[in-house]
Amino acid sequence: MSKLIELEDICVIYPVHGQAPKTVLAGLHLDIQRGEFIAVCGQTGCGKSTMLRLILGAEAPTSGRVLIEGEVLPRPDRNRGYVPQKYSLFPDKTVLDNITFGPEMEEFNILGRLTPRFFKRRTELRETAHALLQQMGLDPSDAHKYPDQLSGGMQQRVAIAQALIMRPKILLMDEAFSALDPTTRSGMQRLLRTLWAETGTTILFVTHNLNEALYLGTRVVVLGKQNSQGSSRVIADLSVPADARTDDGQLRRDVLDRLIHQVEQAGEPQLAEAYS
Amino acid sequence: MLWRIDASPGKATTWTLSWFLFIAGIAGYFYASHNRHLENPDDKVIPTLNQLAEGLSNAFLKPDSEEAAPEDLANASLATKFFTSMLWTDTLASAKRFLWAMLLLIPAVFLGLHMGMFPVIGQLFLRFILFFDKIVALSVLPILFIAFGIDELSKVMLIVIGVTPTIILDTFNLTKSVPREQIVKGFTLGAHDFGVTYRIVMKQILPRVLNSIRLNLKAVMLFLFAGEMIASQDGLAFRIALLRRHMGMNVIIPYVLWVALLLFLVDLGMKVANKRLHPWFREA
Ligand SMILES: Nc1ncnc2c1ncn2[C@@H]1O[C@H](COP(=O)(O)OP(=O)(O)OP(=O)(O)O)[C@@H](O)[C@H]1O
Ligand SMILES: [Mg+2]
Repeated sequence: MSKLIELEDICVIYPVHGQAPKTVLAGLHLDIQRGEFIAVCGQTGCGKSTMLRLILGAEAPTSGRVLIEGEVLPRPDRNRGYVPQKYSLFPDKTVLDNITFGPEMEEFNILGRLTPRFFKRRTELRETAHALLQQMGLDPSDAHKYPDQLSGGMQQRVAIAQALIMRPKILLMDEAFSALDPTTRSGMQRLLRTLWAETGTTILFVTHNLNEALYLGTRVVVLGKQNSQGSSRVIADLSVPADARTDDGQLRRDVLDRLIHQVEQAGEPQLAEAYS
Repeated sequence: MLWRIDASPGKATTWTLSWFLFIAGIAGYFYASHNRHLENPDDKVIPTLNQLAEGLSNAFLKPDSEEAAPEDLANASLATKFFTSMLWTDTLASAKRFLWAMLLLIPAVFLGLHMGMFPVIGQLFLRFILFFDKIVALSVLPILFIAFGIDELSKVMLIVIGVTPTIILDTFNLTKSVPREQIVKGFTLGAHDFGVTYRIVMKQILPRVLNSIRLNLKAVMLFLFAGEMIASQDGLAFRIALLRRHMGMNVIIPYVLWVALLLFLVDLGMKVANKRLHPWFREA
């Protein structure tokens, strides 16, 4: 297996107006292989979203390097899909246009959008989008609605479809399911697992919910504070075995215990307590 | 009950309340007019209904008396009379300047958009425009007259100087307020700088920009009228200023109401167009 993403000795420091600069991440190392499904956990404010933004290329680390297939990439691109927690859909476009926006932007420039070829292609793309919507469990009648006419769960599904239609190598999701009710949420989790298995996309999924992390991920990474310092790094990194769950869906206790043990070892007894 | 902040007056009450001041104003006006005419039947300050009617027909149906009247208008149709009338020619003259000013707001919107999107452009212009914005437009009027002469250009420039900085800064701020996620999202969907600028950000802020322009219509009119009153040979404000010398209140009042009506219609038109063009937009 080849390394797809490498975070090398990452340090992120934000200037704070009128105060000492805030070190959010320090000494962060993480290697991610192609095809992994990484669930990222950690307390609020520990820098999970920051880490996603680094991998996305939306932000550069203060020091250290973010390598994607061995290269430092200066800005986000079509190979890295993003489902942010908020503002993920374009409010001025219908569901269908939100989904086809990516391919249309990629394949046609302004002049190209005036050619007959564009309209032909758009028809094809709309069909693909419809298929994706159906796969996401959305009703065809929703296709022409605007995002603010959809519920939070529906919006999140459209956002995933919007990212998936690009067939990105890496998919970065920031608390994508946290606004959903438990039923919808577990449906979405199953769907995401299936999509991951089908497409082979490498996924990084940020969540507050350890249970969700252990269900979704092939690997769970916990970010946390280093002893006494305010900055975060990886404090636990656990590969979730394929048989981590019993037949009735219960998590095997020893898997959880191993994770808690790692968190404890890293000097975060409170977090360990919260997880057990 | 009625005076509580959670009162919910019925239809009839609402209707009565919202028209009350109009009715009272009109009644008060005619009462004052009547009283003045008792003392002096030739009073021109508060014209009576008859005087107003005469003024209205002069303004709406007769050409400017100082110009050579076109032949036999007497038995022309009402529409012909209206479209050759003093009011209509004045309206056209003002409308032309107004439209020019509105056209010049388009580059202002684009400048604001690019200032918000491209840091280099923002840094180049922001401070300068913030400074420019503080200049009292009317105070540079003499400079404009010297620089551009006293014809059309200086009047349009007055409007531009008075209104464009506000529009540029408004557009700039609206651009900046688009969540960063949307821009990042655009990149991840294969868009480049201009794709993100025009297809994501501009589309999102356009309804708000139009609203900002609507709010600034008053300012546009203000500068237009200032320019016309000070130096002009035609236009609505020119006429109002001219008639003041003749105490032509019976024409000034219809003119004032006409201008208010026009502005109301332009605003309404823009509001409706905004709704039609941006069905997704919910006003906050
Ligand atoms: N642009 C910024 N300027 C200054 N501080 C920032 C900036 N972005 C993030 N931070 C700080 O960095 C820390 C980490 O933020 P981040 O959003 O990555 O946390 P998180 O782990 O995603 O938290 P949550 O679970 O609440 O989403 C926070 O303390 C935040 O205040
Ligand atoms: Mg976050």
